[in-house]
Amino acid sequence: MQRITIIFIFIFLASTFSFAGGPWPQKKGNGYFKLSQWWIVFDQHYTDVGKIDPNVTSGIYNTSLYAEYGFTNRLTGVIYFPFLSRNTMNNVISATTGETLIPGEALNSIGDTDLSLKYALNKPGSKVPLAATLTLGLPLGKDEGGTQNNLQTGDGEFNQLLQFDAGTAIAIGNKVKGFVSSQLGFNNRNKGFSDEIRFGLEGGLGLISNKLWLIARLTGVESLKNGDTAADVTSTSIFANNTEYLSYGIEVAYYVTKRVGFSAGYASAFRGEIIAAKPSYSVGVFYDLSK
Amino acid sequence: MKALNSNIKTLSSILLLAILLFQSCIGDDVIMDEVDPVIRITNPIDSLGLNSSYQFEFMYLNNVGQEETVNPEWTNSDNTVATIDQNGLLQPITIGTTDISINYDNGSNIVSTLQKIYVRDTTTIPEMMMERSGTVTTTSSYQLEGDFTLAVNDDGDLILSFADNYEASTALPGLFIYLTNNPNTSSNAFEIAAVSTFSGAHTYNLGAMGLFDYSHVLYFCKPFNVKVGDGEIE
Repeated sequence: MQRITIIFIFIFLASTFSFAGGPWPQKKGNGYFKLSQWWIVFDQHYTDVGKIDPNVTSGIYNTSLYAEYGFTNRLTGVIYFPFLSRNTMNNVISATTGETLIPGEALNSIGDTDLSLKYALNKPGSKVPLAATLTLGLPLGKDEGGTQNNLQTGDGEFNQLLQFDAGTAIAIGNKVKGFVSSQLGFNNRNKGFSDEIRFGLEGGLGLISNKLWLIARLTGVESLKNGDTAADVTSTSIFANNTEYLSYGIEVAYYVTKRVGFSAGYASAFRGEIIAAKPSYSVGVFYDLSK
Repeated sequence: MKALNSNIKTLSSILLLAILLFQSCIGDDVIMDEVDPVIRITNPIDSLGLNSSYQFEFMYLNNVGQEETVNPEWTNSDNTVATIDQNGLLQPITIGTTDISINYDNGSNIVSTLQKIYVRDTTTIPEMMMERSGTVTTTSSYQLEGDFTLAVNDDGDLILSFADNYEASTALPGLFIYLTNNPNTSSNAFEIAAVSTFSGAHTYNLGAMGLFDYSHVLYFCKPFNVKVGDGEIE
């Protein structure tokens, strides 16, 4: 019996990190490491027709380690490891009686983890670098928890994302440097989940002698809608499929020292289907060996 | 180096604080679940035979649709046609018509219902009191529509039947169907089943249940407590 589980907002998270680094692999021995907290709390969601409906307030909080390390000048390994993932659902209280109608619940565990290899397709230092990245989505999280099995810290499926990145460095005058990059990927999913086309645009500007970076992202997922629906499966367990969205996000990164800094991010969506309809936030501390 | 260590410690402290702040506790969502209290005769009849008596049964549902045990007042508009005692026992006297009402003062208002009774040669329960019907419609942006009937079959089981025009979205996780007296919540509702038919005619056998026990058919996405739609049982 096939069973597919809800994916809701994890894609936001995955996209944030999958696109990090763009087409620029780390040089051999260099790396970038980040400890961060990402969260979303949502009481409404995009429905299958793209409209917004209410739901009981749910929250997901991921504390994660993200690391890039250059094995060679062309090959970089990337890991995104949410070592603490928490999913909560609020109590439902009667406004009439004050009685708790449906008790809230929480699930804590390791979250789904991404392992990636990024390979530079042209010579490092090229004007328009190109890179290919293979990401393996490891289902280390729990795909069901709580009395209704409606809590999860992972989607329960092993997916493979093949992504191509292209970008270029830019300069505005003599003092402001920056970059723009684009991404296109195919996410092969199993366990009844639909496969996906993923795409994105990213641009960043380095200010104050590159101590302050402002980064903007536009990311999208289009479902091929070739997975299972509720009509296809006999299980009564929860599932949602065919999630789509077009989201935008901004991130601010500030180097407090040459290598150490902190970052804060915000992401929301222009449109979506079967996905949370509230913004996500992140804060983090990073250590940049490449500086 | 000291400054670097100090910065790292500061940043780490800020992040740790943020983690502690944002690893949220479980909050409360308050839902507006008030409904009008009702008192309902659960075994209505149309006419009573002159040589018989009839014991009415009733149900009082409070302002959240939950049944409460109460002692209502029974009244009768014409005591020359029939009499009714305070237990709801109706005794015919002569052929004619009378209005039976059941009233309960819940402290906020008087909840009542009225039924016209014909005293005739024989007791009859008309067709309209053996079958109820309605139409489910979406209250969300998920597709849900269809006509239904609720009736007792020859075995005494209550059967909920949906017509050919029934359609429901397959996109929702965990869509369940309920019978309820409060369409604002699935809490305290009678859970029929997880929905497995999303198009066309189908039936649910509800077993030995009263035809007048519930006022609405309700569809809820159970895992995420999202109301999808409902239909009043007429």
